[in-house]
Amino acid sequence: MSVNAADVVTVQHLVKRYGPLLAVNDVSLSIREGEIFGIIGPNGAGKTTCVECISGLRAPDAGSLSVYGLSPQKDRNKIRGLVGVQLQQSALPPRLKVGEAVKLFASFYANPLDPDELLKSLGIKQIENSAFKSLSGGQKQRLSIALALVGDPKLAILDELTTGLDPEARHETWSLIERMRDRGVTVILVTHFMDEAENLCDRLALINHGTVRALDTPEAIAAQAGGSRVRFVPSQPVDEQTLRAIPGVNAIERKQKYVTVTGTGDLAPSVINALAANGVQVSDLEARTGNLEDAYLKLTRDDRAVEGDSAAIEGVVER
Amino acid sequence: MISSGFRELTRRQSGGRFAELLKVQAKLAVREPYGLLAGIGLPAVLLAVFGFIGQAVPGKVGDSGQTIIDLWTPTLLVIAFLFIATSLPNTLVRDRQIGWLRRVSTTPLSPAMLLAAQLIIDLVLAAAAVLIIIGGGALVFGASLHVQLLPFVVSLLLAIAELFALGLMLVALVPSQTVNQVVAGVVVFALMFLSGLWVNPAQVGDPLRTLMYYSPSGAAVRALLDAVFEGSVSYAALLTMAVYTVLFGFIAIRYFRWE
Repeated sequence: MSVNAADVVTVQHLVKRYGPLLAVNDVSLSIREGEIFGIIGPNGAGKTTCVECISGLRAPDAGSLSVYGLSPQKDRNKIRGLVGVQLQQSALPPRLKVGEAVKLFASFYANPLDPDELLKSLGIKQIENSAFKSLSGGQKQRLSIALALVGDPKLAILDELTTGLDPEARHETWSLIERMRDRGVTVILVTHFMDEAENLCDRLALINHGTVRALDTPEAIAAQAGGSRVRFVPSQPVDEQTLRAIPGVNAIERKQKYVTVTGTGDLAPSVINALAANGVQVSDLEARTGNLEDAYLKLTRDDRAVEGDSAAIEGVVER
Repeated sequence: MISSGFRELTRRQSGGRFAELLKVQAKLAVREPYGLLAGIGLPAVLLAVFGFIGQAVPGKVGDSGQTIIDLWTPTLLVIAFLFIATSLPNTLVRDRQIGWLRRVSTTPLSPAMLLAAQLIIDLVLAAAAVLIIIGGGALVFGASLHVQLLPFVVSLLLAIAELFALGLMLVALVPSQTVNQVVAGVVVFALMFLSGLWVNPAQVGDPLRTLMYYSPSGAAVRALLDAVFEGSVSYAALLTMAVYTVLFGFIAIRYFRWE
């Protein structure tokens, strides 16, 4: 991905309601040519609705969308030729065979990829005569990727591609997605696996309650978790005040023999020094800076805290 | 396991998209043979049943001047169409429920084409049913059909249109396969009764007779019987079928959902 790559998808102030439920509330983001763009967030956050609007499957209630300069609603026919979609929870007729499905989808596009080559490159050529209903989870996902790719799309939208896969199949799927990008395909990946987002995505949008809570590289979002975490086993019990007194320490957690201290700055040396001054030795030390999961939990927890506050305020107003 | 990258994959020109679709749908129709059984198996069985009854009870029925197999041929045709039409929701409701129709709607193929391919296959089945019932009735059981060609063909086509529109209306209205099994079962049974399979409408009193005459299946049977034996056209029956076709078709289009 080059830094100055052009934006191929632009979403501005997207709003989508289902009856009284506000699924997407003022989402704006842009996706650059050739990147793997991740959309993360809790279940029901509005991730799927966002990508369904981008692919033209749903019409937004407000806001504007542009995909390769086209409107997903007005130019839906043109968009369908450019965008390959892998839908969450979408099955094939149970008796349709793998090879037939890929050839059938190839026939829908003006210039498809060669179905045989694609099957080989996805490692599913040997099951081309298997019916959909007899496939394993991993095989179904590969077929789903094949169907999303066979039209040689410029943009692939993959919604919860690895949900329900075993670790090995997940890692294989990741390598497929990277190879998709190598081919120049821009990828939108909806996921709720932090390791997947961290490993694969060039940039991420964290969506919660229908709004974008963070939009940056995985590293930059992880940094928002703030500072670091140190876990250790003290040689003798340490009292809370000694730990609290260490500069930068925000929280202390004890579990069995382990003490975990989280806070800002370079915590490990200050913890070791402060405890040594009190005659306490430290063993089994493990220090790490905040990762994406920490940031994710922090950002989504912040939202919950805000909700709690506003609920309390509403309660007061009602009385 | 994974042999090569995607970068070197070649593109090629796409073949005829509808031909490929029709081929795949036909293969699926053979592998999931609800329609096939309804269109070919059922008429053959019914024909055999009524054929053997006709042989066991030879001679004319009452003062109609017709044999049993003559009289029941139109009913058998209508019931075969009814079974084919009500097999439509079996596949289409399932395909909608599992997200297949939606999946296809993200490609350049219009999902209406999927529907069209399915209808073409079911029309072929309806044609096969006509051949089996008329051909088999005449060759095996000696049914004598002195057909008035034009009214007969018009009645046949209207009966197919009306019952297929009914099938599509079921596809549009039933939310799931489970509901479809119940609803389609009731509809099939009611329309088999109203067609006169078990009770001849000429022998029952009003209001049942009127109900039967102006039901979708009863009107179809009446139009065919008139075209075959009276050599006349039953405009009331034809008009009834036309009204049902428009009504069912309108509801099907109005409430059709791809997801």
